[in-house]
Amino acid sequence: MDFKFTAQEERFRQEVQEFFLQEEKDVSAAREEWDSGQGFGPHSWAIIRKIGSKGWLCPTWPKKYGGLELSFIYRYIIMEQMHRFLNWFSTVGAGMAGPVILNRGSQEQKENYLPRIAGGEIEFALGYTEPDAGSDMASLIIDADDKGDHFIISGSKLFNTRAHFAQYYWLGARTAETKPAHRGISLFIVDLKSPGINVSPIWTVGGRRTNAVYFDNVRVPREALVGEKNRGFYYIMEAVDFERISTVGGLERDFDELLAYVKAHRLGQNPLTRQKLAELAIEIESAKLLALKAAWMLDRRRLPNYEAAMLKMVVSEMEQDFVYTAMQIIGPCAQVKRGSEWAPSNGKYEWRYRDSLEELVTRGTSEIMRNIIAQRGLKLPRA
Amino acid sequence: MDLGFSKSEKLLVESASGFLTKEATGIFRDTERSEAGYSERLWHKMAQLGWMGILFPEQYGGMDGNFLELILLLEEMGKALVPGPFISTIIGGCGIMRYGTERQKEDILPKLTAGRQVIIPCFIAPEPAAGAAKMKDQVSLREGQYLLSATRLFIPYAESADGFLFETRTQAGKTLFLISSKTPGIICRPFETLAADKQCEVVLDRVSVPPTNIVGSEGQGAAIKNEIELWGALCESAYILGLLEKVLEMAVNHAKIREQFGRPIGTFQAIQHQCADMVSDIDKLKFLTYQAAWKLSENIPAGREIHMAKARASDASRRVTLLGIKIHGGVGITQEYDLQFYFRRAKAAETAFGDGDFHREFVARSLGL
Repeated sequence: MDFKFTAQEERFRQEVQEFFLQEEKDVSAAREEWDSGQGFGPHSWAIIRKIGSKGWLCPTWPKKYGGLELSFIYRYIIMEQMHRFLNWFSTVGAGMAGPVILNRGSQEQKENYLPRIAGGEIEFALGYTEPDAGSDMASLIIDADDKGDHFIISGSKLFNTRAHFAQYYWLGARTAETKPAHRGISLFIVDLKSPGINVSPIWTVGGRRTNAVYFDNVRVPREALVGEKNRGFYYIMEAVDFERISTVGGLERDFDELLAYVKAHRLGQNPLTRQKLAELAIEIESAKLLALKAAWMLDRRRLPNYEAAMLKMVVSEMEQDFVYTAMQIIGPCAQVKRGSEWAPSNGKYEWRYRDSLEELVTRGTSEIMRNIIAQRGLKLPRA
Repeated sequence: MDLGFSKSEKLLVESASGFLTKEATGIFRDTERSEAGYSERLWHKMAQLGWMGILFPEQYGGMDGNFLELILLLEEMGKALVPGPFISTIIGGCGIMRYGTERQKEDILPKLTAGRQVIIPCFIAPEPAAGAAKMKDQVSLREGQYLLSATRLFIPYAESADGFLFETRTQAGKTLFLISSKTPGIICRPFETLAADKQCEVVLDRVSVPPTNIVGSEGQGAAIKNEIELWGALCESAYILGLLEKVLEMAVNHAKIREQFGRPIGTFQAIQHQCADMVSDIDKLKFLTYQAAWKLSENIPAGREIHMAKARASDASRRVTLLGIKIHGGVGITQEYDLQFYFRRAKAAETAFGDGDFHREFVARSLGL
């Protein structure tokens, strides 16, 4: 066993960190955009293109598609810094759609989409969830009618968060009525400008925009089908373990800020506060090691499936512990919204208390993660 | 970065696991009723495999290994719930190796690595109840010999000790002594404890110790004691890790075969989610423990990491064993079934070398609080 980065990896980590420090202006404006709940605005696109032009969005991909052919530990290093500086660490294109296109897409799809994904030029809206298909994704019913040279898609999607600023849709749709239901799902890349797509905003309690999306006889060319028809669910499952790979870069930054606040306000003598902060530090350190382990497994060509689920669950639940603890330590002022002189850290905790809820339910709830850990990790029988 | 076992680490774990399955399965049941509280037969076999010598140089009959290898062994010992003064002897011996005189090392270490020397750190002083008289150590120097009188508590397997490491204040400051258990005036009284793990009260009554038995220099005792206790906390974390892994294995196996309502209880999400929480607790503990041990092996300061590991180990020991009991239902609380041994031993391990609150306070200090 060996827990340290190689000298080369450590140099790279510093290079990435220096990049974000140098781009401070775009970076903080991009973070402001993201934290406002609107998604990617002009500053976000500017910084994504810069990250992409360095090959850092998809560093593990082949060079001909805009990658650097680096190992996953490098991807982890980049993600950690992005998380720290931007509050997000990947795009749907780089993290979810791209890997499936790379493994299952046609040559034409690869050449068309992968370089633009890796370059930070395009983004995808993730189109899995529907009003009646949440945790039970395989029960999705949006209909893709096979017309030979094209498909006609009709139905609705819910909580498709990036549909208002992405260029493309990464869409799961039903192409066959089957039992079990997951055998009749196909994946499509749909241009969001296609006639018949209607994007309607839904605002979360955290002030973040997500969407309900309605498809009214949307015509999609056959070339938009990814891989084989009716195999979409399997492709989604292949990719989902990549999606749940995470870092604690953002939490480490938040923890450092909280610690500085506690010291500046001389709150650190209280034994309860000391215990709580220490517990958070231990949690963050243990989650960081789980994140490193997931990256390390990918480098060994071992797919972290129960490990990725555990990481997702641990990080999202820890975020709850963090904001809850921070608000306990700071006291009543922590509930004051930004703009008031009484709001510590400019209302950050009031906002984070609401906004952090999303992490708990997006990309699979903690309960779904526990199912995966139990069934895939511990081989407990399914009902 | 390599978060998997190297070839030699894998080999060590496999051979330890094979050996303990063959030689130590269920051993805790018999030893609990025995006078020594552990199997001397198993002890000598472990010594033959070189386990006692894992941290020590070849010149003293050791294996020239490192802390990472030690904690991998301890993880396997935790799975088998091997009782005995292994951790005490290793960390005590390690203190002598680092700070002892050449003569002390030659006296103690070859016997220790051969399994013929049990060394027990003897550090916990009684804390009087509010208002009660404080029991003070008595230390005097007479005719060139120290005369020591003191009481120490919760000393594991003290009756089996060949030597004690004892810390007290002399005129020069806190000082560590190596005391042969044969010295007149030492009384060991075992407590009957939850885990039946032979924790004793050790009373020194005017015990005469020559200055040549000081380990390190006079005044250095507190620092050496702290270091030994840190090693102990790490070792105990690894033991707890193995213990909890075994509890999880038992719970999962039980959930797969036990049928209620016409199907295995492991198909119920209530059970699945408890198992998922158990393995998450264990995986977090695992890499905290491995990382701390790796740092010690690389001679990187590891205090903070050890405090993190033991805080996590102590709290997880309660959570995981309790879930194990709940998943087992009635059979889990019978004396006949092994789980209750793990449940009781987990509590002793939780307390040994400091519980979660204790270690979190040190983590807080490391954060600059």
